[in-house]
Amino acid sequence: MADWSLKVVKPENFRGTANILSNGGKNPLTAMFGRDETENPDVKGYAIYAVFENLSEHKMEAVKAVFGEGESLCYESLTSVIPAAVWYEREIQDMFGIVPQNHPDPRPLVLHDTFPEGFYPLRKTVDRDADVHGTRRMDMSVAKGEGVYEVPVGPIHAGIIEPGHFRFSQAGESMLQLDARLFYTHRGLEKIMEGKTPEEVLPIVERICGACSIANTWSFCQAVEKIAGVKIPRRAEIIRTLLMEIERITNHVGDLGNIPAGVGFNPAISLGGRTKEMLMRLQERIAGNRFLRGVIVPGGVRQDIDSALLNDIADIMDKTKANVSDLSEMFAQQANFQNRVRTTGVVRKNTAVDLAMVGVGARASGFAHDSRKDFAYGLYPELDFKLVTEKTGDVAARLALRIAELKESFALVQQLCNLLKADKSNESSNLTVQIDWSTVSGEDWGLSESARGSNFQFVALQDGKIDRIFVRSASYPNWPAVTIAVQGDIIPDFPLINKSFELCYACIDR
Amino acid sequence: MAFSFYHGAVQALCLLICAPLIAGIVNKTKAFLQKRQGASIFQEYFDLWKWWRKPVFVTKYTSWVFLAAPIVYLVTSIMAAMMLPGLLQGNIRFGDAFVFVYVLALGRFFMTLGSLDSATAFGGMGGSREIYISVLVEPAVMLAVLLNASRYGSTMLSQMVIDYNAFYFTVPAVLGSVAFFLVMLAENSRLPVDNPDTHLELTMIHECMTLEYSGRLLSYIHLGSMLKMLSFFVLFGALYLPLPLPMVVKVLMTALLVGLVEILNNKMRLFKVRVYLAAAVIMLAVAIIAQ
Repeated sequence: MADWSLKVVKPENFRGTANILSNGGKNPLTAMFGRDETENPDVKGYAIYAVFENLSEHKMEAVKAVFGEGESLCYESLTSVIPAAVWYEREIQDMFGIVPQNHPDPRPLVLHDTFPEGFYPLRKTVDRDADVHGTRRMDMSVAKGEGVYEVPVGPIHAGIIEPGHFRFSQAGESMLQLDARLFYTHRGLEKIMEGKTPEEVLPIVERICGACSIANTWSFCQAVEKIAGVKIPRRAEIIRTLLMEIERITNHVGDLGNIPAGVGFNPAISLGGRTKEMLMRLQERIAGNRFLRGVIVPGGVRQDIDSALLNDIADIMDKTKANVSDLSEMFAQQANFQNRVRTTGVVRKNTAVDLAMVGVGARASGFAHDSRKDFAYGLYPELDFKLVTEKTGDVAARLALRIAELKESFALVQQLCNLLKADKSNESSNLTVQIDWSTVSGEDWGLSESARGSNFQFVALQDGKIDRIFVRSASYPNWPAVTIAVQGDIIPDFPLINKSFELCYACIDR
Repeated sequence: MAFSFYHGAVQALCLLICAPLIAGIVNKTKAFLQKRQGASIFQEYFDLWKWWRKPVFVTKYTSWVFLAAPIVYLVTSIMAAMMLPGLLQGNIRFGDAFVFVYVLALGRFFMTLGSLDSATAFGGMGGSREIYISVLVEPAVMLAVLLNASRYGSTMLSQMVIDYNAFYFTVPAVLGSVAFFLVMLAENSRLPVDNPDTHLELTMIHECMTLEYSGRLLSYIHLGSMLKMLSFFVLFGALYLPLPLPMVVKVLMTALLVGLVEILNNKMRLFKVRVYLAAAVIMLAVAIIAQ
């Protein structure tokens, strides 16, 4: 039994059921995804899932609509009642050809205008090496009017960043509207992972994104461990949680150094950059690589953290703490900097809830949404930390929130290090549970809180082989919020606003 | 006159040769203050040499203005450098302060036309911002000229620096120096008005206008900008830094000061620039009244 309450409905009842599960918007939409079950003799068709987080009861609730053999692949769009569904429905349309009717924005999302019509890559009938060329219509959404002009930016940028095209509709310097075209480097990861065993796909999962490899891997491992019914050793849980917090600290520190780059505040950029480098070297000492890859495996962790390494961690954490307090002082004392970040790029709480935002973006707007508190996983239920929120939802709030969260994370690392020291079951052989995948079948989800927010994954296994994996990283629900946050600000503030969310392109280009 | 022109040409040539070095010193100062090693102080020469050798790409939709703008910009910077007082003292007898200001304005005007000519969104954005800043800078520069004109009874730059080596410390002099420094940062696209080393195409001002330029044309623009900055440093040293020191020392001091100020500041909101420049205008107005 999967770890959620699942209702299977007919397509015409999908919207109604989803609306009930969303509980008037109180339960945020975690994810929506399609699945090809034409090879499953019980279904012989396609299915779509909508997953909701019941925040009051701390559980997942899902609804699945099944399109049987020969049924038409369309359903009534959820977006008008659940705005957070907007991108998911467009993606499902691109990937499976399941059409959301009356969708307010039915343009393609993932497959751009260089793909032919009628090509649905996640259907099982499509070969994963298919070489397709073609065209389809894909307009940018722009504002019109006298004196309104467009500024196209990207997909190739002046800095070394990932590709994304932004189309600003401008009235003078003011941004009237922003349309973002992302997904330029869609890698087809979900497709290539199908038919492989969890061990085989692990290196792929770790490389979905460079910044949150622990979060992605942990979500994946949670899902497959739940399917296999395995409980991992306690010491492995401690190590996973510790690594997660180190990854969060590295990312938050990196962001603290990156946000001032939007306004050319050089001393803060340098200090942030130096501190992040120090943390990445710590990560290299822990994992043998700078991105903490290869430590978490299904069933536990591959390596122990011994007392020498614990001392290293404590040492680096002390230095980081000092640098972070220097940084926050720098921000506070620079009036010109405060002037730039305050009231810039506001996301109101209603918007955050409607778009089911996650992580820093949600909490800075006062939406207390943190999977470490909402769902008991890892060692978090035993640990003492606060869920921090800010109210104003501007760049300053996202900055202040990161500083406050860093303090909590430092305390968490301290607690976890103490737990590791106190834990006497110091046997490396005891860190993983061996799982024989060949007989494992089922479907389940995993969720872990990365530095940007919760990373959700859905995995369906068929005889130990992946039948469907769906990856929703934290950046996915937050990207639409960026286009809303910029409205009313001026275009020179866009880099600052964009950096304050620090969303990942690779996470959605999966 | 011919004699004077010859001196002016020599002076401009010397400044032209030194300009990339001074820009390199500013960059090195900034790097040092960030605890970075930074590029060599000669890096700007290498960059100019790199651009000089590269081919120029021009879209077929542009007119001659696009090709002429960088040259006009460089030539006007050189003309302004020829008029500078304080280096070859007494030998340069031309160069009215108004001419100095408007020769530079001519260069900027052509740069703005060039940025509009290619009809890209960024060029237009940069051009409009440059004009917005220059409209605000102009009254401040004019007041700075008038401050000195009323003191020395002439608008000739050469007349204004008769006693530039004397040490004086009066309210108008101090206010004038501070205000001119603020104006100098704005005029030369430095922080906190513009960010010279940013590559955030949406926020920059001067760099926005140069995005469509490449190769040799780009090297003209950069050389012109660096020469303009050095000219302002010299002018600042000659008119507003009343210390009995050689000009080289004053220019180096100014370069270090600019680097320091750039490190201590971040870029301000675009629409706050008017407040910043209004402060300079008010200081200058007070200085003139006090005088």
